Amino acid sequence: MATKKIEIVVPPREPHFVGDGFRVHNFIPSAYRLDMKKMDPFILMDYNSKFHFTPSDKPRGVGVHPHRGFETVTIAYKGKVAHHDSSGGGGIIGEGDVQWMTAASGVLHKEYHEENFSKEGGDFQMVQLWVNLPAKDKMTKPKYQSISNAQINRFTLPDNGGEIEVIAGSYQDVKGAASTFTPIHLQNARLNKGGKAAFNFPANYTTALLVIEGSIKVNGEENVPTDNFVSFENEGEEFTIEALEDAVVLVLSGEPINEPIAAQGPFVMNTEGEITQAINDYNMGRFGYLE
Amino acid sequence: MESAFESYLKKNAGITEPQLSQLKNKIITKAFTKGEFLLHKGQVCRHSFFIEKGLARFYSIDREGKEHIIQFAPENWFLSDRGSLFFNESSEFFIDAIEDTTAVMIDEHFNHLASEISPQFRKYNERILQNHIRHLQKRISQLIGASAEERYLDFITLYPDLTLRVPQWMIASFLGITPESLSRVRKVLAKKNFHGF
Repeated sequence: MATKKIEIVVPPREPHFVGDGFRVHNFIPSAYRLDMKKMDPFILMDYNSKFHFTPSDKPRGVGVHPHRGFETVTIAYKGKVAHHDSSGGGGIIGEGDVQWMTAASGVLHKEYHEENFSKEGGDFQMVQLWVNLPAKDKMTKPKYQSISNAQINRFTLPDNGGEIEVIAGSYQDVKGAASTFTPIHLQNARLNKGGKAAFNFPANYTTALLVIEGSIKVNGEENVPTDNFVSFENEGEEFTIEALEDAVVLVLSGEPINEPIAAQGPFVMNTEGEITQAINDYNMGRFGYLE
Repeated sequence: MESAFESYLKKNAGITEPQLSQLKNKIITKAFTKGEFLLHKGQVCRHSFFIEKGLARFYSIDREGKEHIIQFAPENWFLSDRGSLFFNESSEFFIDAIEDTTAVMIDEHFNHLASEISPQFRKYNERILQNHIRHLQKRISQLIGASAEERYLDFITLYPDLTLRVPQWMIASFLGITPESLSRVRKVLAKKNFHGF
């Protein structure tokens, strides 16, 4: 088994606001060498690093917008988000929870700070990851997987090292809570200081990690600080992380879909014609209506 | 690399490669950050703007401080206060960037030289002026007589992706309707066309 080496460590870029509720650093696709093609099947990663929001009676957030052609995965580390969509669905994503939304043929939704969180204010920290869908599933029916923290299976690391929360895919013999359209591993390593974890993914998978809390050493040689993103080479299978202090690390690995990508704003399809169709469908109300 | 404006001239105005090299040093491009003015009321407009990247709008502000958007200009659109530019008068309008924008600042030196070296360009320039007048006549007729839904349907044909790029109130301002009325139109369309997940 060969070691999977680090290809690039990407520090967080200047943050920007999505609506007025999400202060995010974009990694995928706008950072150097993290474009959609390179990171296939991951097409976007926005990271709201820990940020203190002051109390507000009017919940901050992002207003009504559509999605088509992919899945959005929201992982909440601090704070709470409420969401609503045009089919009348909605819910709350709390600390430690994950929402896996298959936008597929089209969803119109909005995301705001949950009412009480907004009133009280507090630390807010989230990741939003967009996972592409293969052409055959892009127009499938939208669905949600609301995964509460309690539903996430865990692997306990030896020597009081901490645990791996398996959101999707598998870690050793522990299976993830989310179902996916293509093979995806998505895991939170919650490590105690000195805790070590080894990961093993096929060489050709696109593999990366984001240090959410603390700092780690990768493969026993390179230190990676908080809020930094690591993209691995498409060679070798195995890598290790070690917590230099208590740490939380989001690990992602997915099989590339290897299909053409046409993207505009909230739509990610295979051809320009499908993008034009998506815009037209949205304009004509085919995604529904939401106040 | 060829700029968006250069490709546009070759494709639409019959400008050839040798003509382009003659024109090159007359093509001035400027970047504007979101919110920055390309033209402010009271100034004399000295340019016609060609939007290479981003989005600009042309608007007036009435005595109550309300904005009325006359034109949006996304990529590959021209935008100018033609009255101020041609008649050398103070403008009554504003042009600002709604997104970070790159615009070609077309001035009389460029137009003069391009028309001199290319009869096709001269013809093209005349054509876009006539096209602009046609567009304005249609727009006047619509603002006087069309329903909110008809205005919206025309808007999404003219500017398909702007519904994703500008806030509702700006679209309503362009259509000459209230934001509430625009919401109603979109609701009616969704009722007709949305069949659930």
